[in-house]
Amino acid sequence: MKKTKKNKDCFRINESANERILTPILPLTLTNANAYDKQLATTKVVTDCSKITLDFAEANLMDFDSYLVIFINRIRQFAKEKNVEFAISGLPSDRRNFVDLFSRKITSELPEQENNSSIGRYIENLGKKFQKMWRDSYLLIEFTGNLLIALVKMPFQMKKVRWKDFPFHFNAAGVNAVPICLLIVFLIGVIMGYQGALQLHQFGADIYNADLVGIAIARELSPLMTAILVAGRSGSAFAAEIGTMKVSEEIDALTTMGIDLYQFLVLPRVLAVTFSIPFITALADLSGIIGGLFASLTTLNITMNGFIVELGTALTYAHVFSGIIKSMLFGFLVASVGCFRGLQASGGAESVGKFTTAAVVTGVLLIVLSDSVLTFVLQVLGI
Amino acid sequence: MNSEPIIKVENVTVRYDDRTILEDVSFNINRGEIFMIVGGSGCGKSTMLRQIIGLETPVEGRIYIDGENICAARGKQKKEILKKFGVLFQSGGLFASMTLAENIAIVLETYTDISQECMAELIDMKLASVGLRGYDGFLPSEISGGMKKRAALARAMALDPMILCFDEPSSGLDPVTAASMDAIIREMNSALGTTMVVVSHDLEGVLTTAHNVIMLDKSVCGIIAQGDPRKLKAENKNPIVHSFFNRIAE
Repeated sequence: MKKTKKNKDCFRINESANERILTPILPLTLTNANAYDKQLATTKVVTDCSKITLDFAEANLMDFDSYLVIFINRIRQFAKEKNVEFAISGLPSDRRNFVDLFSRKITSELPEQENNSSIGRYIENLGKKFQKMWRDSYLLIEFTGNLLIALVKMPFQMKKVRWKDFPFHFNAAGVNAVPICLLIVFLIGVIMGYQGALQLHQFGADIYNADLVGIAIARELSPLMTAILVAGRSGSAFAAEIGTMKVSEEIDALTTMGIDLYQFLVLPRVLAVTFSIPFITALADLSGIIGGLFASLTTLNITMNGFIVELGTALTYAHVFSGIIKSMLFGFLVASVGCFRGLQASGGAESVGKFTTAAVVTGVLLIVLSDSVLTFVLQVLGI
Repeated sequence: MNSEPIIKVENVTVRYDDRTILEDVSFNINRGEIFMIVGGSGCGKSTMLRQIIGLETPVEGRIYIDGENICAARGKQKKEILKKFGVLFQSGGLFASMTLAENIAIVLETYTDISQECMAELIDMKLASVGLRGYDGFLPSEISGGMKKRAALARAMALDPMILCFDEPSSGLDPVTAASMDAIIREMNSALGTTMVVVSHDLEGVLTTAHNVIMLDKSVCGIIAQGDPRKLKAENKNPIVHSFFNRIAE
C-alpha cells in the first residue's frame, strides 16, 4: 500500500498501485446518504487503478437500509464507466442477500417505453385533448338523447320512474335552497336599486327605479342567480352522488340488473329541480323587488305606494312568466349536467371531485349561454 | 440479536360503544417471523391490526412495539414508533392523484432529507423489488388491482421498516397474483429479515407462508388457537379451528 487518504467522515480509500480499497465508516443508511453523496461527488473514487474493492470488513453493518444497495450500485457504476474490475469483500451473507435481492431487480430490463421527442409529445397531447373533447361531446349528445327518450317514454312507463326519490330531491334541491336564494336576490335587488337610483335621480326620473328593478329582477337576475345557486348546490351534489355510485360499481349493478339509469336516477333528479326552481324564482322575484324597494325608499324621494303603483304598470305577466319559464330551462340544464358529469366519473375519489367541479362549471356556462339566446329570441318575438 | 419479541400485545380489549370486539387478548410476535392473524369474517382481525399500528387505541391493555407502548405514545414519540412500520392496507391506500413515484416519494420526503437523485434511485429500487420497474409515472387508476397492492407494498417498504403489516394482502386478487404476493412476503422476509404481520383468511397463503399464527373467533372475542399453522391444521381438535384449516362448512 502506498498511502492512505483519510476522508474525514463517511468512507476512506486505501490506494495501492493497481487497486483501490474503499471502506465505509459511517452506517450506510438514508440518514447518512447526503454525507456519502457529498463525499462521492468530491472524491475521485476510480483513478489510475485496475480494480476497486468495496471492503465491508470494518464497516458498521448493524445499522443499514436501502442506501447500502444504492451505495454499492454507485461504486459499481463508477467502475463500469472506467472499465475497472469491481469486487465486494467482507459483506456478511444476510446483507449480501439483501443487496442481491434489490440489485438483481434493479438491473432487470425496463419495460419498453415510447420515447417521443418534445414536439411529438406536444402533438400527442393536443391530439388526446381533441379526442377527449370529441368524446365528451359525443357522450353529451348520447346522454341528451337518452334523457329525451326517457322523458318521451315517461307517460307510458310511469311506474318505472323512481318517484320515491322525487320528494326528497324536490326538498333538497328546492325547499332547502329557498333561504340562500332569497337572501342573494334580495341583496342583488338592493344593489340594483342603489345603482339605478344614482343614475335616474340625475334626470328626475326617480319613480322609474321601480320599473328598472322590477323588470331586471323578474326577467333576468332572479332566474339567473337562482339557477347559479342551484347549480352550486344541487348540480354538484348530483355529480358527487352519482359519481360515487359509479366508482363503487353501484351503477354497474343497476345496469346489470336491467334497470334504466335514466328512469331510476336521472329523471327524479331532473324533474325535481325543473319543477322546484320556478317556485324559488317566484319567491326570489318578490325578495329582489323588496330589496329594490328598500334601496329606493332610502335614497330617492318616492313613497312605497308610488313604487308599487309604478311597478304594477311596468311589470307585466310576460316579464314574470318569461323569467319563470327560463328558470325551468335552467333547472333542467343544471340537473341534467350534474347527472351527466356524475355518470362520467370513473376510477376513484379524484375523478369524482374532478367531475363535480366540471358539473358546476358546465352548468353555469350553459345557464349563461341559454340565457343569452333566450333574451335575444324573446326580444325578437317581442315578449 | 435482541431476542425479545418485537411486538407484545398485553390484555388488549377493544369495544365500540357497548359492543366488545376483542377481550383480554395477549400474544407476542418474534423478530423476523411471518406472523399471521387469521379467523372468520367479523372476528376482529383487522381491528387487532389497527390497534397494533396505532390507528386506534384499545380501551384496555398495552401494545409494545420494540419495547415502546404505542397505546400511550403521543406526538414525536408516536411518530418515531410509526417509522418502524410499513403498512399495506386492504385497498392499497395509494393516493389517487399522485403517480406511483410520488406516492413513494411522499414518505421519503417526510422522514429523510436525501437528494432528488438518491430519491429517484431509491424509488426505482423499491418499485423494482415488487416487479414494477418503469411504472413510476403511472397513476394508481392506470394499473391493475394486483399492481396497486404491489405499489402500495413498495411504498410501505420505502423506509426499510422493521415491521411490515398487511391487511388482507390477497383479497380481491386472482390466485396467481395472490400467490405472487405471498412469494414477495416470503422473499422480503428472508432477504431483509423484516417482521411481517399479516391479516389473512387465505388458507393457502397461511399454510405456505406463516411461521406462526393466532386464530381469533368472535364467540370468545379473542384467540382460540395459536402456533405453527401446519401443526394447527394437523393436530388441533377445536371444531372452529378444524373447520377453518380444513375448509369445512359450518
